[in-house]
Amino acid sequence: MGYERIPRPRAFAARVAGLFGPRKRDSDLDEEVQAHLQLLVDRFVAQGMSREDASSAARRQFGNSMRLQEDRREVRTLVSVEDLGRDLRYALRSLGRSRAFAAVAIATLGLGIGASTAIFSVIDNVLLEPFPYKGAARMVFLRIHDSARGEEAGRQGYTSNEILEFAEQNHVFDGIIAASDDLVLYKQREGAEPFDGAHVTPGTFEFFGMPALHGRVMQPADYLPGAPPVFVMRYKTWIERFNRDPGLLNKTFELNGVARTLIGIMPPRFSWYGADVWIPETPGREVATGYAGMPARWFLLGRLKPGVSKAQAAADATVIANHLAKIRPQDYPAHFQMSVKALGDTVVGRFESTLYTILAAVGLLLLIGCANVANLMLARATSREKEFALRAVLGAGRARLLRLLLVESLVLAISGAALGVLIAWGGLKSIVAAMPQDTIPSESVIELNAPVLVFTLVVAVLTAVVFGLAPALQAARRDLNDPLRDSGKGVLGGFRTGRMRDTVVVIEVAVSLTLLVGAGLLMRSFVALRDVHLGLQAEHVLQTQLSLPADRYKTAAQVREFFEPMLARVKTIPGVVDAAESSVLPPYNGADSKIEILGKSHQDEWHAVLQNISEGYFRVLRIPFKTGRAFSEAEINDARKLAVVNETFASTYFHGEDPIGHRVKLGALETLADPTREPWFEIVGVVADVTNNGLQDSVLPEVWVPYTVTGSGDKVLLVRSQQIPMALMNDVRQAVWATDAGVALAFPGALEDRISQQLYAGPRFGFLLMTIFGCLGLILVSVGVYSVLAYATARKTHEIGIRMALGAERSDVVRLVIRAGMRLVTAGVAVGLLVSLLLGRAIEAELSRGVKPYDPETLVGTTLLLVATGALACWIPARRAARVDPMVALRYE
Amino acid sequence: MERAKEGEMTDAKRSEVLQGTLDLMILKTLHALGPQHGFGLARRIEQVSRDVLQLNEGTVYTSLLRLLQQGWIAAEWGTSENNRRAKFYSITARGEKQLAVETENWERISGVVGRVLRLEGES
Repeated sequence: MGYERIPRPRAFAARVAGLFGPRKRDSDLDEEVQAHLQLLVDRFVAQGMSREDASSAARRQFGNSMRLQEDRREVRTLVSVEDLGRDLRYALRSLGRSRAFAAVAIATLGLGIGASTAIFSVIDNVLLEPFPYKGAARMVFLRIHDSARGEEAGRQGYTSNEILEFAEQNHVFDGIIAASDDLVLYKQREGAEPFDGAHVTPGTFEFFGMPALHGRVMQPADYLPGAPPVFVMRYKTWIERFNRDPGLLNKTFELNGVARTLIGIMPPRFSWYGADVWIPETPGREVATGYAGMPARWFLLGRLKPGVSKAQAAADATVIANHLAKIRPQDYPAHFQMSVKALGDTVVGRFESTLYTILAAVGLLLLIGCANVANLMLARATSREKEFALRAVLGAGRARLLRLLLVESLVLAISGAALGVLIAWGGLKSIVAAMPQDTIPSESVIELNAPVLVFTLVVAVLTAVVFGLAPALQAARRDLNDPLRDSGKGVLGGFRTGRMRDTVVVIEVAVSLTLLVGAGLLMRSFVALRDVHLGLQAEHVLQTQLSLPADRYKTAAQVREFFEPMLARVKTIPGVVDAAESSVLPPYNGADSKIEILGKSHQDEWHAVLQNISEGYFRVLRIPFKTGRAFSEAEINDARKLAVVNETFASTYFHGEDPIGHRVKLGALETLADPTREPWFEIVGVVADVTNNGLQDSVLPEVWVPYTVTGSGDKVLLVRSQQIPMALMNDVRQAVWATDAGVALAFPGALEDRISQQLYAGPRFGFLLMTIFGCLGLILVSVGVYSVLAYATARKTHEIGIRMALGAERSDVVRLVIRAGMRLVTAGVAVGLLVSLLLGRAIEAELSRGVKPYDPETLVGTTLLLVATGALACWIPARRAARVDPMVALRYE
Repeated sequence: MERAKEGEMTDAKRSEVLQGTLDLMILKTLHALGPQHGFGLARRIEQVSRDVLQLNEGTVYTSLLRLLQQGWIAAEWGTSENNRRAKFYSITARGEKQLAVETENWERISGVVGRVLRLEGES
């Protein structure tokens, strides 16, 4: 049989198909219509009409065939363009009438989509796929640390001999490379400019597997002795320092006194070791002198063979290290452990847990947002039950109602999605701007993650559409009279009772409280950090690192011949109060040194951090003396073996005894390229503690000695000024270059900014993000509580009407609704407090000293804030309920 | 009311009764006379209801489409009496069932309406 039977399910399919390909069917029908008209004409002609009259009579009898065209399409397809336009206008009008609802729904969707996309984009780019290198997931580095001390205190720099031993003896890596940093001075007409340089071992570029963007990478031949000196440049350096000059390639630069040819510029994401320039070097067996006269240390990077775990690698490396410890025991603690760290750990470290905490928070926020939108939609659906019942009674079909609601939901969803994309884009920009520097790998480029964006968009749009359609399904399923009677029954299967919605609100409140507690704790922690006394006054201090050409500044005498006149010159600049040399920039410590104190014997090793300074140091930083005195200018110039120690040093090693006059041996000074023989120093003064180990950890024992005792070590210049420090920058630079044009000023800036960047940026970032998400959570919770209560209130209109008819006061009704809402809020708060206490441990590591995860003030404060917000959210539907007119409410009974 | 719930009415401006009735009349005609093309249906209905219904014959096709989609009738291309290509419609088993239901509905409603109208007429 050739019957064209269309069973019901296929009727829908036919309509959907009708959306896309109505042409053939239309021509079928046209043929039928034409045939029909022809037959009518024939008939009228047979009855004696003229052909013309017959044809117009036929058309009259058939009716408007254009009308039929539309009828047909109406039957056949879900939407016609004209109808879509009508529905769109209707949807806009309808949403325009409930602007508050539309705004809240759109904002909720937008916040959910935007926040989660932005954060996940950051996580993906920073934690999941930060490195563009081949096999980056298997790239690891080794760290050796004293078993008695923390892993953080370990070293990850190795001598070239150690590098070679690890490379030859291991069974776990399929490639090992190494890099050592070097401040590279690039000589220009006016003076020297610094580059962050890295010496890289043979095979480095093959290891990463990235070709050059312009020119070429290093070949094995470039490493051979006697090969023409070459170097490779980073993309960012080429852009920022050389303005993308295309003629730069194959030019020769004088770097650290050697003429080197630029052979390649790397692609944007290649930034191995964070260097500006890479210089080939083949490490030899002998211990070499590296940067600033310190023993050369290499950072080792290996790629694990596939299937080898970090633990296996650590075990293998321990065997090699035990052997190496016998050759150079001075480089190894008596008891040590090796750990294997992923490449990403070089920078992300502590930041990782912050990001994951925030990801969890944001994921929950997206869920809350979707739950809210669902609740809002249901609440609105309930309040429109009568409208839809009326439409159905007047003859609107289910398809028509669905279409109407679909368009309405889509308008909401698309607006929300558009807002979400905007928020994601803007949010990402501000997150990147607020992100502390050097906490993420320089290789990672943070950009919007398209798959995540699509995923969140789909989730949110589906939520809006599915729950937006609820009233149409309901209108189709129900007896049309139902909404006119009591509407205490459920709407959708899963929402048959209110318990589900109540649970959602309780969870929302709990999550929000947890977020707020987290934000509160981080805020207190941040405030506590700001309260930590640094021990120095950083305001009005200019700081810059000075790079002295290594070939001309080897000995203490040579270094002094530069600094003495230079410091004198700087001090004469108008506006300069004082100036000093040091080996370390605050707020971090200097080189670690083993120490001994004459007349004191001890089992364990004693350590202190060591700094070289000039005479004005304590004055410039305003570090007060507890006892004793500073070095005099004459003592500095004579390189007298004198020392100043901090209070922690005195209390740790002298236990209340006066350290003045005691002699301390600083072992590290013997190992420098320009060593100090017999490094016994007499203590002449004790200063107050200055932060030298970050804000979180306790101050380490510290020793200051005259910079003139060795030519090795970093050199920095500190200048105290009367005005904004950076205003002096040019004068200071001229003073330095007037003394020696070959010296470069690296990383100049205000000391205050540097400290803020180094110490506060990380905690501030975590606290900021948590606060933003805590507030978002609060907003969403208010929406959630409000929408559920509004929904419940709308359904209880008749009950409220009866109560009022029976004599209930408006205040009773308000109390009734608020009590219902606050019951949920209270339950949520209880759960949230419990969760916060349990999760407190997780966040403890990020809190500064003195802030406990169960900080009562934070818990009480956030609970009050949440309860107040919840009460406000209850109040609006309560007020609406109180305005119910009993006559109107009961008319439908 | 039944028809409204099924939701096949698409234009509130048109008289519901006419549309529902047209569907019913087409079903009944197909049931009584076997497969017919659109022109034949229009003639038959015209014949039966002359002077009572002013039928726009185009609406027959709208009705046919609707019935097709419900699966109450089937369509097949064939050749008409005067050797023209024409689409022939026939009632399906489900259509027969629907016809029975609708007929009973119609009779009940028209009986009620008739009684009510008579009451009013007598008072």
